[in-house]
Amino acid sequence: MHFVVGGAFQGKRKWVVEHYRLTEVAHVWCSGYTQAAVLPGEVHANMVVFEGLEAWIRRLPERAYWESFFQAWYEWERGADGRYVIWIGCDITQGIVPLEKEERQWRDVTGWCYQQLAKQCTRVDRIWCGLAERMK
Amino acid sequence: MIVFISGGVRSGKSGVAERIVRSLASPTSTIHYIATANVTDDEMRERVIRHQQARRLQPVEWVTWEQPRHVHELIGTFRTEDVLLLDCLTNWLANELFHAPGWENEAYCRQKAEHILATINQLSAVAKAVVIVSNELFSGGVLHDTGTYHFMKMLGWLHQQVVRAASSAIVVQHGIPIVKKGEGFM
Repeated sequence: MHFVVGGAFQGKRKWVVEHYRLTEVAHVWCSGYTQAAVLPGEVHANMVVFEGLEAWIRRLPERAYWESFFQAWYEWERGADGRYVIWIGCDITQGIVPLEKEERQWRDVTGWCYQQLAKQCTRVDRIWCGLAERMK
Repeated sequence: MIVFISGGVRSGKSGVAERIVRSLASPTSTIHYIATANVTDDEMRERVIRHQQARRLQPVEWVTWEQPRHVHELIGTFRTEDVLLLDCLTNWLANELFHAPGWENEAYCRQKAEHILATINQLSAVAKAVVIVSNELFSGGVLHDTGTYHFMKMLGWLHQQVVRAASSAIVVQHGIPIVKKGEGFM
C-alpha cells in the first residue's frame, strides 16, 4: 500500500495519476468527495485508489471503523500478486485546532488514521507544490 | 530565472529571500523590491517599516515599489541585469481577487490567477532573476466559504505552476531554508 499525503491544492491527485500512469493502467478510483468508501468484495481491479480520506473520516469520525477498513484492504492487497492500494489524504492537521467539538474530533481521528496508514503502507510520499518527497 | 520561497507566518521567509536576492545580484544589478501588501492598518505599517529598516542597513541599493495589484505595469522599468524580489504572492492574489466583485465565480478567479502567472513569467523574462515569496496555508483544513475556498484553490494552483517553472523552490521553517528543488544559494 502507498500513502500519498499533503496540503490542499498541492497536486496530489495529479501526481498519483502520473506516477502510476493511470490514464493507461486499469484501476478503480474511489473518491471521498463524491461517493461512499468501497469494500474489497465490491471491486474487480488490481489497483484501487482512495482519495479524499479526510472527507470520509469527517462523515464517520470513528477510529475503530477506519482501523478495520484499512486492515481489510491491507489483507486484500496481500491476497494476490499484482494488487495495489493507494491512499490519498489531505493534511488538515497543521492549523489552528477549532473550538467546535466536531471539528476537533475530525482532525484528531484524521491525524490518527494517517499515522495508521503510514505504518501499514510500504511507501509514503508528501506532495508539496506538485513535488513528491518520499518519507518512507 | 524564478526562485520560489514559501513558509509559514513569521518563519523568516523575507530574510532568506533577501539573502538570496543579494547573492543573485551582480555589481551592475539594481535590486527591486515589489511589495504587494495593502497597508490598511497600523500593525501592517509597523511590519513594513521593520522590513524597510532591515533593507536600509544593507550595502546594496534597493528600489521599492508598492504595488498591491497590476504588477505587470512595472515590467517596462526593469533591465536584464536587475534582480526582483516580489513579497508576496499571497497578498497579490488576495488583492487581485477581492478588489472588486466577481470572486464568487471560479472562472473569474482562474482568470486572475492565470494573469498573475503570465506576469511572473514576463518578469522572469525581462530581469536576471525574480524571487517570489509566498505562504504555506494548505495543511490546516480547507475552509468552505466561497471566497476562502477559491483563494486557496488558486494559490495552490499558482504555487504548483510557479514551482514547475522555477529553477529553485525553498520552504523556510524557523528561519532555516529547506531546499525542495534546485540550489539553495547559501
